[in-house]
Amino acid sequence: MGMTLDRLAREVEALLMASEKPLSIERLCELTGAGQEALEQAISRVEDALANGGHAMEIAFLAGGYRMVTDPELGTVVSRLFEGRRPGKLTRAAMETLAVVAYSQPCTRAHLETVRGVNCDSAMKTLLERDFVAISGRMETPGRPLLYSTTAGFLEYFGLARLEHLPRMDEIGNLLALGADDLEKAALDLSKERDDES
Amino acid sequence: MRSDSSSRACRVMLSDFEGPLDLLLYLIRRDELDITLIQVSMVAGQYLAYIRDATELNLDVAGEYLVMAATLTRLKSRSLLPSRREGTDESDDPERALLRQLILYRAFKEVAADLRENEEVWRDAFSPPGERQRFTETAREFPDNQSGSLMDLLEALESLARKGEPAVPHMIERPVLSMAECMDIISRAMPPGAAGRFTDILGEKPDRRSVVSFFIAVLELVRRGWMNRTQDYPFSEIRLERTRQWA
Repeated sequence: MGMTLDRLAREVEALLMASEKPLSIERLCELTGAGQEALEQAISRVEDALANGGHAMEIAFLAGGYRMVTDPELGTVVSRLFEGRRPGKLTRAAMETLAVVAYSQPCTRAHLETVRGVNCDSAMKTLLERDFVAISGRMETPGRPLLYSTTAGFLEYFGLARLEHLPRMDEIGNLLALGADDLEKAALDLSKERDDES
Repeated sequence: MRSDSSSRACRVMLSDFEGPLDLLLYLIRRDELDITLIQVSMVAGQYLAYIRDATELNLDVAGEYLVMAATLTRLKSRSLLPSRREGTDESDDPERALLRQLILYRAFKEVAADLRENEEVWRDAFSPPGERQRFTETAREFPDNQSGSLMDLLEALESLARKGEPAVPHMIERPVLSMAECMDIISRAMPPGAAGRFTDILGEKPDRRSVVSFFIAVLELVRRGWMNRTQDYPFSEIRLERTRQWA
């Protein structure tokens, strides 16, 4: 298009390119001295420029901030760069455990094991090591068990802007809060809904 | 419908499941049962058959599967009893509690699958220059000026342990005097029939360790009845007297 970016848009682009973590709009304001609205417009000008120019980069909104990311379609090529150094996909056990933490956080290890019906030690070890889950406190009950929550790294890895964007957040939250009777009813309604959809 | 007789080879292996709840959900789905309408005891038999097979094949069956097998056996036997009153609490209805667990677990299994889809896409989105750091094996830096987490501390500890420096030998010194040596000295200082003060045994300028050694030896002698001791009040002089039992 031959469109040139203005100074603020170029600053935004440079900051996102250099930052090792998502930059919130507030942080961008601090760094550039520009106002929130001006920055939001600058961000979309950069987005447009990247898209129109057919670039391999795009701006994603992850973990409460803006982040420059490569187009996932080029993942195969880019991942060759990190061959042998890149952690694998999460195992089913780790994924399930992570899901339980994400929807019931902060929660104890005992809660995880009750929900999954199995020991979660090795899954939790992976999740802690990969920084998807962190210790966030202790429950004020006898024994003061540790509480676990998900991290910003978790949101980033799964492409989520914030926790509320987790799939089916309300539904799972309700299930967790319900007693047995209501739970059965809720599950019944859901399976009906699904039948209707299909 | 019952597949107890189906060949073992066709059966899905236990290791394919993420635990007893996962196996139960599989059995329910396979028989196209509605989780909200079933009695768990309807699939209990098949569950137990699975576990029995796995045990016969000498596979390592995790404890959780066996606990569930016990629960199901109990539920089955309950279901054979005349039906109980309706409207009991979840707390005294293990079947309802188990169903609740299954419904909840199924929901998490489903969202885990949703998250997997996110992973598939976003794993392939790389961002500069964090990825370079994230994938190197060099130690992760502390985020900004924030304090480290417990995990950071454990990692640091582990990396220290890995350094491979030979451990500093910890010398354990032999006590200055053994019990036998102490008794020997006391015996000489206090011949049969004699009496004296504890401090007499110690000699001149005793160090702390020999005081302790002698004191323990004296306690042992008193315990055996080879010595009598008297002390007027706490921390005062201890008077010792050799008994006849000390030959």
